[in-house]
Amino acid sequence: MSAKKTQKAKESKKAKKEKDDGLIRFKINGQAVEARAGWTILETARQNGINIPTLCFHPAVEPIGSCRLCVVEVRQNGYSRVAASCITPVQGGVEVLTDTEEVLNVRRWVLEMLLANCPASHQIRELAKEHGVTSTRFKVEHPEDACPRCGLCVRACDEVVGVRAISLGNRGVFKEVTAPYNQRSMECIRCGTCLYVCPAGAMEQLFPLVSAP
Amino acid sequence: MKNESKIGIFLCECGGKIGNRIDLPRVCELMRYEPWAHLATHPYPCLAPGLEAMKAEIQAKGLNRILIGGCSSRVMKKRFTKGLAPVGIERQQIEMINLKDHVAAVHEATPQELARKAATLISGGLASLRLLEAYKPVSLAFEGPALILGGGISGFAAARELSRQGMASILFAKSLTAEGVLDALYRTFPGCRLYCGEMADLLKEAFAHPLIKVMPDQPIDYIVGGVGDYHLGLRQPDGNVTEVDGAAIIVALDREFGSANIDYIGGAGRVCDLLDLEEQLVEGEIKPGKVLFWVNSPEHGVAAQKFAAMAAWRDSLVMARENPLVKPTVLYPANITLPLSGADLLEARGHGISLQSYAPEVHPVVQSGYMSFVSPSDNLEHEVQWDTLVVPGVPGDPAAKAEELLRWLPIYPENGGRLKKSHIKFWPEQLPDESLFFTGSAGGLCDLNEVLQQGKKAAQGVLHLREKARQGRLVSPVVVHVDKDLCEGCGLCTEICPCGGIEHVKPGSGPVPRETDNHLCSGGGTCAATCPYEAIKVMNNTIQQLEARVKAMVTQMQENEILGFVCGWGGLSSAEQAAVKGLTYPTGIYLIPVNCLGSIDPSILSLAFLNGVKGIMLAGCTPTHSCHYHYGVDHSWYRVNALKKLLSLAGLERQRIAVGYVEVNEPESFVRMAESHLDTLEKLPPLPRDDQTMAKLWAIHATMHRPRVRWVLGTSLRRPTEKVFPGSQFNAVDADETMLDVLKEEYTVSRIFKALSDQALSPPELAKVLEEPAKNLTPILTDMAKDGRIVAQSWEKGYPLYALGKK
Repeated sequence: MSAKKTQKAKESKKAKKEKDDGLIRFKINGQAVEARAGWTILETARQNGINIPTLCFHPAVEPIGSCRLCVVEVRQNGYSRVAASCITPVQGGVEVLTDTEEVLNVRRWVLEMLLANCPASHQIRELAKEHGVTSTRFKVEHPEDACPRCGLCVRACDEVVGVRAISLGNRGVFKEVTAPYNQRSMECIRCGTCLYVCPAGAMEQLFPLVSAP
Repeated sequence: MKNESKIGIFLCECGGKIGNRIDLPRVCELMRYEPWAHLATHPYPCLAPGLEAMKAEIQAKGLNRILIGGCSSRVMKKRFTKGLAPVGIERQQIEMINLKDHVAAVHEATPQELARKAATLISGGLASLRLLEAYKPVSLAFEGPALILGGGISGFAAARELSRQGMASILFAKSLTAEGVLDALYRTFPGCRLYCGEMADLLKEAFAHPLIKVMPDQPIDYIVGGVGDYHLGLRQPDGNVTEVDGAAIIVALDREFGSANIDYIGGAGRVCDLLDLEEQLVEGEIKPGKVLFWVNSPEHGVAAQKFAAMAAWRDSLVMARENPLVKPTVLYPANITLPLSGADLLEARGHGISLQSYAPEVHPVVQSGYMSFVSPSDNLEHEVQWDTLVVPGVPGDPAAKAEELLRWLPIYPENGGRLKKSHIKFWPEQLPDESLFFTGSAGGLCDLNEVLQQGKKAAQGVLHLREKARQGRLVSPVVVHVDKDLCEGCGLCTEICPCGGIEHVKPGSGPVPRETDNHLCSGGGTCAATCPYEAIKVMNNTIQQLEARVKAMVTQMQENEILGFVCGWGGLSSAEQAAVKGLTYPTGIYLIPVNCLGSIDPSILSLAFLNGVKGIMLAGCTPTHSCHYHYGVDHSWYRVNALKKLLSLAGLERQRIAVGYVEVNEPESFVRMAESHLDTLEKLPPLPRDDQTMAKLWAIHATMHRPRVRWVLGTSLRRPTEKVFPGSQFNAVDADETMLDVLKEEYTVSRIFKALSDQALSPPELAKVLEEPAKNLTPILTDMAKDGRIVAQSWEKGYPLYALGKK
């Protein structure tokens, strides 16, 4: 009885200690890592030299997890789930795996869909090739399309530049990067931030369509 | 900000994107003699863990300047500003060197070679950071009424909105009674009779409100002062000038319509224009019959046609409501869409108003009582009957009032007579508040409703400024400072400032030092680089900082390497996009981003040569239409041109310096430009470093500091709208030769100074030293001796022995 009590006390003491230094401890690919509250799995992984591929992520803007390329497997209490690492906050005691078969499978699906969605993007094709995806089983409707609709340019225009000259128009499969009212935006200051952040090189073609000279 | 600088350097590996391409440990080694307090490398400083580590290091070492060797300042600076704010680091204390896009991603050289380039760029950044000066942002007072100028109808909406929020305003109106304003309304907004009821209420409220003072519209003599404290001089009929003060200015200016030429239609009393019709409506004359509104005159543009069609629709409604025997038809070109709702169309049908479009390709033909047009639906010619034919009025040019205001406010006329506020495009953080308000149809044809909305919005902008001032937050981020001791009040800066950031002075007040209005200042810096007396300083971005950066970089560069100045818009974005796109170019060009090429002082260019740089390239936006600071890049052209002339005078190659133009989204052009200039320079020898050449380069540098040269450079600019050359020049060759003469003379003066600073010399001796014929020097020496810049120390063999004077 008393032994149990002391063990419990010890445990609570240990827990208290962990709480005190404010660090959250968990594992990525078996490697023990430390993080602070508010960090994401992606940030912690990168800090520790563990690479997770991303597309719609850019440090200059808040992550939204739209491309799902940064998925990882999070195991906890015998349960497992696949989550987008850029928006998943760190959690003590979990085990994160960045390249299990399940994760790779999700990534391949995402890339295959991207290949069908934006086949004209050289960058996307290269990224897919790195993951062994060279063709797609989905129908390619617009072979000249290079835009993955990740919305990074739109977020950068809002959060970094602060002018909101471009936006995502329409919904679902019709989603596209456009300026309000489908007209060339007079708000655009032509700073080129969208061109800089675009991960697919698509903004080059879109820029003349959305920005007024 | 403490003045003693403790600089922390943080290098970013960017997860290998930089770390694998640049030997970062080697960079650290190369930096060992530089004056930093902390140097660290992080895998990702921009992510939360990296920022956390940076914050800890900043606090532990008490750092007050941060240099980040990572990626694009344009994109990432905000993130660092936000992330480091909790440890007291402000935006201007952070300097970012783009190792990724200017070094790692664009060159194919070895990591060790790139480390040298990276270290050179970082040294430049350090030199600039060290000269960062502390300054106290001044918060502005915002007292007094808003001044509503221009006499536009939107002014009443603005005044009402202000009065409802308890702010006083002085409104200058064309008429001092509500009836007078209403009666004249049709001249600026034909077809808006429908709104007269609401307008009457608005005017009644405005004229009766104690906070709104309506004054007659008088000629404006001057507008001086700045945001929060404007002074307006009004010329009275007796010739005296009275002054009115206010905190803000709203310009409400409408475009007046003129009569259309209807002679070519004929038809005597049966044909009229919209203005005539409106006059008839005022008198209550509504003749029964078929009224045909024909929206013609494509020459005024689609906007004017749309406006005319809507005016016709509204007048049709007024007429049909008043007299059911009137059967109006609106015949409008099919290339415009009428913004009418379903309810509008229902009402039209109820009143028997016909809305008919015609194919604009085929001009409708007027007959007596009929008009034939081609319908776009069946391509067949149809006819419509008329008893009265009405054509639209002609949108007139901006009023004489506009001309008065243009002189004092940063408003510019565009093609087609439209007025626009300065077209400078900023990052919103450069100028967080709108401070000059421009409303009315002079800014673009629109209907009454929209204009009133504009007025209300302008008033809300003014109220926003007042609110900020009340909280003491009306502070501007860019601070341009004029040194009153150095300023001679020549007014060149006011003349060339495109944003209104340099305040005007009252006419006839003589050479008084200028004040700056930092709420309008865009921080372009052309004024500072032009000032003949070097009295203007763009805080946190001073010429001294750029000088230090150039010096630090050039002394570390190799003799075959060149400097590349890129403007923050076209040049920089294309250079960085080249990296994103995976383009490469030779390592020999070291990029220095500046706000605008216009902010590069001519002496910076000459200083680079004095320090031994082989060549310089400048990449800016295309002149006139895309320079974000109006004419910054054009001013830069004159400075480059002057330097070419001086190099030529010194016997050096003109092609060592070149300016190029590149737009945003043209990375290939940028790369071609850099490669081409590097190719040109490869054929040239390194800059000679012998005493003779050094003395010449010193003289070139001194020449760039001469007020007379700077004045000529500043006034040389001929804007595309100007037909005549500045000064008394008649043509391009004349203008160029005048500039060359001035440069030649001042260059010789500088060389004489240099020669005499070593020892006293007689004219023949000077001629020998300078390798110039003595007869060229004599007039200059006489001049210099006359004003005491040099003195004859003694006489030798009948010649004076000149030495430097006390001046």
